[in-house]
Amino acid sequence: MKVSFLGNFGARPEVAKAILGKVTEPIEPTVLFDIGDTQRLIPALAEAEIVVSHVWKPDFPEAPRLKLLQSVAAGLDLIDVPALPGGVTVCNVDGHEQAIAEYCLMTMLALSHRLVDIVTSFRAGPWTAGGGAGGGQPHGEIFGKTVGIVGYGKIGRDVAKRAASFGCTVVAANRGPIADKGDAGEIYPLGELDHMLPRCDVVVIAAGLGPETRGLFDARRLGLMKPTALLINIGRALIVDEAALYDALKEQTIGGAAIDVWWRYPSQAEPNARPSSFPFHELPNVLMTPHCSSATDGARDRRLGGVAANLDRFVRGEALRNVVLTT
Amino acid sequence: MKALFLGNVAADTHAGIKDELPPALDCVILNDPVDRSLLPDAAKDADILVSNRWMADYPPAPGFRLVQSVATGVELFDMASLPRGCAVCNAFGHETAIAEFVVMAMLALHHRFFQIAGEFRERGSWATSWVQSGVPHGEVRGTTLGIIGYGRVGREVARRAAPFGCRIVAANRSPRDKDADVERIYPLAALDEMLPRCDTVAICTALGPETTNLLDTRRLSLMKPGAFLVNIARGQVIDEDALYAALSEHRLGGAAIDVWWQYPTPTEPNRRGSRHAFHALPNVIVTPHNSGWTGGMVRRRWDEIADNLGRFARGDSLINLVTTA
Repeated sequence: MKVSFLGNFGARPEVAKAILGKVTEPIEPTVLFDIGDTQRLIPALAEAEIVVSHVWKPDFPEAPRLKLLQSVAAGLDLIDVPALPGGVTVCNVDGHEQAIAEYCLMTMLALSHRLVDIVTSFRAGPWTAGGGAGGGQPHGEIFGKTVGIVGYGKIGRDVAKRAASFGCTVVAANRGPIADKGDAGEIYPLGELDHMLPRCDVVVIAAGLGPETRGLFDARRLGLMKPTALLINIGRALIVDEAALYDALKEQTIGGAAIDVWWRYPSQAEPNARPSSFPFHELPNVLMTPHCSSATDGARDRRLGGVAANLDRFVRGEALRNVVLTT
Repeated sequence: MKALFLGNVAADTHAGIKDELPPALDCVILNDPVDRSLLPDAAKDADILVSNRWMADYPPAPGFRLVQSVATGVELFDMASLPRGCAVCNAFGHETAIAEFVVMAMLALHHRFFQIAGEFRERGSWATSWVQSGVPHGEVRGTTLGIIGYGRVGREVARRAAPFGCRIVAANRSPRDKDADVERIYPLAALDEMLPRCDTVAICTALGPETTNLLDTRRLSLMKPGAFLVNIARGQVIDEDALYAALSEHRLGGAAIDVWWQYPTPTEPNRRGSRHAFHALPNVIVTPHNSGWTGGMVRRRWDEIADNLGRFARGDSLINLVTTA
């Protein structure tokens, strides 16, 4: 069975090597990091029955034998589905939801407790930040707060489960109907998001990027949020209007944000590229991380193990897991 | 009936509850921590003291019948200086906030949050990101959390940590019934068996003879290399020198410290919390003894204190009675 590992994620040495180390069935791998190297991409795709990649471009060469496109990510936004040959099953991978849910709770707690401000101030000397015997304004807590989750999939449910144990009221909005509400008290159709937003003290964006979610948080919807509300985005940056969010945070029409997914990413020419054309890094009410909420050791093991298990299933002719679609 | 509100926390409390107090209660507020010139006159005929302290060298207060602490700890009240029979009550409402702090700190330590967010903000560094093949950080799922002191705070921590998929063990001085959140409760004397199992140790115990210097050099060395320590209890539960050595030599992975070995004084308001520079260690999250000081805690605690003063004025039974002097 010929398997081609492609691109700067699937063909990254430690990723491909870890997956191959977990695969038990016999396979013949090729590994191609640079998908712009057409000379090597043409023969790889001509032979491959399985491709492991998070990307599929419209100008990819013919892949006549391809049956399984196994993504190494959850989001399929870099896979051009119409460009795939017919009869290909596309699978994604999970195992990151627990790590991302931890990030969401960590950041909603840190923003509410003003942790970064208090630690920074105390490191410099004064005991006065954040209440207590040192004086100063008490900080916040999440007990009794309403957490609204936009996109109630695996991540959203894992956030809900954890937030509920803190005494939060959890509501969610989802594109499709939800049969099992999990720990959410109420599920809004995505079309009624405008009714949910004014209720929320924390809004967590845990949706994928698609036609219904692109630009979903524009200036008008951000304006529906409470002036103290916190926004956490671990979905995709393009769900939020960049300029509108910057303005809302700078003018403090919302309370704060934790942002892990960005409008701009680094390149080889610019490895330390700022993640937005707006200086979010100058705003005191923003926690920012470099798209790493899922980058835990546990999530990596679960995801790479999940890819390897699916390759084994395919070789053995067993039913695949995490099937997203078949072309 | 006269109540003396002494100190800045008590003064804030008075401001927060004055509308709920019995109209007949005559309140005197002294919030200056340095100037004691007004204290003798205020203390000599007060029935109630609301404060966080009453020291041995304070003036006579023969009329005190209720001492209402504005905090949970009452170690700063000199019992011998209080009139015999005086009720000493404390206040809670902080366990929710502190439990949030403990879980937050545990997450931030395992996720290397301060390092990653700091480098990204300051230098635009994506080095930790999957985009640039960064080294993964940790998560709390599947790790073992050990809670020392399984009282109000400890149980609230366990309840919140359990849905993260943590394995939870605890150690307590007196026997406690196991609940659904913890796998095992060790007697405090068996702490040495618990420590090597833990990826995170959270200290939630009161300070007493059994817990003073409980985590000394020997016990800190029983912890896993790279394990994290969170202390929201009292500084003296840990040997200061031993902890600094373990952290600066990277035997422990990091710590979150909210409670200290020394505190500011009126003449030295920015006094450091330790003779060691914990604040300069990058793997230590330092906070000024305010893990519990949320707006919600303040409101809950005010409500308890107002309730108790009303009970006292009406002659009803008190809540949160710690001891009688």
